[in-house]
Amino acid sequence: MANEKSITLEINGRRRETTITANQTLLEVLRGLEYFDVKSGCEKGDCGACAVLVDGIAVDSCLTFAATLDDRSITTVSGLGKGEQLHPLQKAFTEMGSIQCGYCTPGLIIAAKSILDENPDPTDDDLRLGLSGNLCRCTGYTRVFDAIQSAAKVMRDGGEQG
Amino acid sequence: MNDPTTEPAAQANLQYRQVGKPLTRTDARGKSTGELRYAGDHVMPGMLHAKVLRSPLASARLKRLDATKARNLPGVAAVLTAAELPGRLAPTDLPGQTGRKRTDTDQQILVKETVRYHGEPLALVAAETVAIAEKAIALIEFELEELPVVSDPFEAMKPGAPVVQGSNNVVAEHKIRKGDVEKGFAEAATIVENIYQTQFIEHAFLEPEVGLAWVDEFEVTNIRMSTQVIEHFRYVADALDLPHNKVRVIGSLVGGGFGGKEDVTVEIYLALLARHTMRPVRLAYTREDSFFGHGKRHPFHIKHRTGFTKDGKITALEVSITTDAGAYVFLSPYVLLYNAVAAPGPYRVDNLKIDAVAAATNNMFTSAFRGFGSAQACVAYEAQMDEAAKILGLDRLELRRRNFIATGDTMSTGFPIESATWTEDCMDQAWTALGEKTPDHGAIKVGRGVAAYQQSYGRMTWVHDTSEAWVGMEMDGTVVVRSGITDIGAGQTSALGQIAAELLGVGLDNVTIYNSDSATTPLAGTTTATRGLLMSGNSVRLAAEAVRARFVERAAKEWKVPPETIDLGERRIFVADQPDYSMDLKDFVAICASEGILRSELAMYRAPFTEPIDRETGQGRVFPDFTFGAQAVEVAVDTGTGEVEVLKSVGAHDIGQAINPAAVAGQIEGSSHMGQGYALSEELVYENGQLMSPSFSEYLMPTSMDVPRYQAIILESRSGMGPFGAKGIGEPALTPVAPAVANAVADAVGVRVFDLPITPEKIVKALRCKKL
Amino acid sequence: MLAEFEILSPANLDEALELVASDATGNVRPLSGGTNLVVDLRAGGEAPTSLVSLCGVAELRYIKIDDGRVSLGAGTTVSDVLKHRDLCTLAPALAEAATVFAGMMVRNTATLAGNLCCGSPAADLMPPLLALGAELQLASKAGQRVLPLDEFYLGFKNNQLQRDELITEISFPIPPKGATNAFYKLARRKGDAITVAGVAVAVEFDGGICSAVRIALGAVAPTVLRAREAENILIGKALSSELIAEAAAQAIEESSPIDDLRASADYRRHCVGVLTKRLLTNALELKSQGNQ
Repeated sequence: MANEKSITLEINGRRRETTITANQTLLEVLRGLEYFDVKSGCEKGDCGACAVLVDGIAVDSCLTFAATLDDRSITTVSGLGKGEQLHPLQKAFTEMGSIQCGYCTPGLIIAAKSILDENPDPTDDDLRLGLSGNLCRCTGYTRVFDAIQSAAKVMRDGGEQG
Repeated sequence: MNDPTTEPAAQANLQYRQVGKPLTRTDARGKSTGELRYAGDHVMPGMLHAKVLRSPLASARLKRLDATKARNLPGVAAVLTAAELPGRLAPTDLPGQTGRKRTDTDQQILVKETVRYHGEPLALVAAETVAIAEKAIALIEFELEELPVVSDPFEAMKPGAPVVQGSNNVVAEHKIRKGDVEKGFAEAATIVENIYQTQFIEHAFLEPEVGLAWVDEFEVTNIRMSTQVIEHFRYVADALDLPHNKVRVIGSLVGGGFGGKEDVTVEIYLALLARHTMRPVRLAYTREDSFFGHGKRHPFHIKHRTGFTKDGKITALEVSITTDAGAYVFLSPYVLLYNAVAAPGPYRVDNLKIDAVAAATNNMFTSAFRGFGSAQACVAYEAQMDEAAKILGLDRLELRRRNFIATGDTMSTGFPIESATWTEDCMDQAWTALGEKTPDHGAIKVGRGVAAYQQSYGRMTWVHDTSEAWVGMEMDGTVVVRSGITDIGAGQTSALGQIAAELLGVGLDNVTIYNSDSATTPLAGTTTATRGLLMSGNSVRLAAEAVRARFVERAAKEWKVPPETIDLGERRIFVADQPDYSMDLKDFVAICASEGILRSELAMYRAPFTEPIDRETGQGRVFPDFTFGAQAVEVAVDTGTGEVEVLKSVGAHDIGQAINPAAVAGQIEGSSHMGQGYALSEELVYENGQLMSPSFSEYLMPTSMDVPRYQAIILESRSGMGPFGAKGIGEPALTPVAPAVANAVADAVGVRVFDLPITPEKIVKALRCKKL
Repeated sequence: MLAEFEILSPANLDEALELVASDATGNVRPLSGGTNLVVDLRAGGEAPTSLVSLCGVAELRYIKIDDGRVSLGAGTTVSDVLKHRDLCTLAPALAEAATVFAGMMVRNTATLAGNLCCGSPAADLMPPLLALGAELQLASKAGQRVLPLDEFYLGFKNNQLQRDELITEISFPIPPKGATNAFYKLARRKGDAITVAGVAVAVEFDGGICSAVRIALGAVAPTVLRAREAENILIGKALSSELIAEAAAQAIEESSPIDDLRASADYRRHCVGVLTKRLLTNALELKSQGNQ
């Protein structure tokens, strides 16, 4: 097929080789590789449900062509924990009532991780700015802010690996 | 006031071991890791991908449709048009209920000749890949002849208007008469009259509609579906002329519903394509499809005329209500009824006249949306109270206090409220929680508003609503719950687990809940109408109580003690205060099993059954019960630009008994956000029936940068009909929010914008008019 | 449905320029962050045959403050701007635009050049850059040229960029001591929204006199523009509230907004007046505070 090429992505620490066409977004490619934890919400960069980390930077996978990411490292929400152990963000979201329908959760946790990587002690306003590209229709963000700030504290105290 | 509550809140919550605790929900962990799958996260070998071809016009005659090129495209497995579906119709009436005959509002599955709304489906394609399906859609040739468009319900009811439905576009009417309005107005010292207008709203659940269907080796058509109603297997069967027991719906986790996944969305398309191709078929709507793919919130035009004594007591109320049903009837008659019944709000009104009509137009059809007509009623009645307070010179909260309905009073339909009416307490607590008022500064004016409400929970009682559940204990003392309930994100299933755990003496993590499979789980009815806890919570309670009763009887016999002294807790069965009489449930259940004592129960809960209300007077019982509460909001308005910032937003609700307080608080906080958008920034714009805003770039929900820290206050009167005295919260939490925001803005700028959304531009215009 | 194009990945600027130069049919598009391009492609408007990905051209991504100028590589992302403390201090107008620009994920990949080239009059980085007196460096295989930003746009979504050219740098003079610059974006929600009216103002003072002023208006005309006649009212004069009101009224005259889904032309004009007045008033207040 025209414009097909083979690329290698390191996804959650695992190297995956796959054949793609140039016009495939990272979202399509990831879900095609059965990373169903990456969600499609709008395919326009308005909702953030598809957010993943590329070399540690949060991007909307629906707006990124996989062909430009050969040999790059991708992290999805399922790659944040260590085996059975949840990442502090996942644990906080789970325990603090910050998840309702859960569809925005993967993108939201990825964005939260990205914020905490830069800013280990975010204020509400820091979170408002950092999460404005993540739409949530269920929670109203209050418990989301709580969970992120709680996880941030755990990570600052060195309780669990960030 | 006859307060039916019997037990102080704090004490009861201390006694419960599972109920009333903010336990971690059973689905939370899997959602945080992305492990839990939604309907779109399943693949099957040989799976085809489907797409829908939609009409670009709102009103047209389909003159020609030629799918030849599409069918010939390599990789296309099927193209279906109306020609391939002779006479088949899709049912659109009240979903998932068995208590009454379906009304005949069935609609065409694909356009045969007449297009009635922008986006109405013309054809279905199934192909090997999404890309091929998209190409095939583009290859379908069609010719539409534009027909006149009617896009306003008032225009639609004028003689000579294009007819969209029925003979004159009127699809529903309701009348409610109580007391003597003429006399009531004659007694009024002041009459306040205003017109309020609300807008079309989009549910905007993050997960667009999606499903996967296949025909199995028993010729059962299976549909894995994101839905609020697994009982749609009946509607699918009826549409395809199949026996009901040959269609199965497996409800997945739902990524948001809010009423938008209450009607059939893609189920029938999936079933048709799966049966036509005999291969699995997946249909995942794009966001744009979703804007065209399900009914919207009804816009309402509500004229309120209220008579008050000089002390502010309501003497009479006359309300004229008109709503846009859009192109098809769907649930408009019921949304209209809810709106009419709710028109007076949580206030005592002895003399009222309410007339409501729904008219069809070529706008998108309107249907269920959280609040279901009652939310729009609250926009009108709570604005009216604030407007009246201004005219009467009374404090806004005091005016409400003087009129709040109390237990024993009758609602608009003459039916008495039997549960607690803690509206005043909710209002006062919400208002107090606003704390000290933020001062004005520069062009910024700060205002506060409150809105009180009543919102029904449970379905209309003449639907004869029932719900079933199965609860059982395994040989090792763990518990299984089976319920058809769909979990749409509010923790529906986890709550059932907590109830079963409470009654059978185990922890929530000792309970496995199987849900939402029409083949294997007892049918619970819809997750709509704030009925989940009332219906499924009660059926789980009944089932668990039956099992518990058998266990208690056996243990009482064993230990020769009165049954009322026996309790279950911490995975044991024991006599209270008698440590010698105690046994592990594991050991106890083994005894029961060996004696043939049934360790499980299938139970049905029946909501109150009534006949429909009187057609002329609207009198009779409409709902099982109501939730009461209030929202208080503080806003800062930039009087130069009209921009509104919500500074504080508090919801206080008497929910009877919180099964999981964290989940209840989550509903209140989430609703505070959704209602804010309803008040300030959300609207679907239809111009001559054309949708001008089919994406999240134009349809604006509040982002994280637009939100304050929402606050939830939970009151527990324990007077509800749900398990442990619970009432419902799903819709109630939303109802007062937009009204409270609107009242706060009016308070800030001294002038009211009477139509939602209250945009900065409208505020600037209102301020200009005020100056003149 | 996305067109079936190829993606070419040059490793440096020369290779990239070579590729765009070879575009005989006009079906080659440069791709940087893609946050606008991918949306356009999905809407089906465009069907290019090749995209030239500039992601690998690291030499286009930099922020330099020296020699009296701030120089921003074309591939600088909006997040890069937000994170650069010194840049944000010198150019609060640009920092503000970056803050209210879409959402974090889009900011992480959207580039300055991309925002300028998308051509929408609602492009948020434009008014601040115009107010800061920005210049563009355009390069092609044949050479380079410098173009003041306020000459870049020819009309609605129509700019001076030739088919074989790429923007390589955006630069502006470091604002002198005592000068201020600010930007306000008005939209129908605070986060991630298309601008209804955007105004950026930069003022320089010489003693008590306004020695230079640039007023840039966004989303209220077919292109982002400078309100030059409003500026002329102020230059060489001591600012006062009366003069500011006059300039704001003039700025309204220079705008030509339309009615659309988001707002009416009438409201947009109103906002031009309110925002221009506010930003100028704030500049005056900052100046007075500075003098104390």
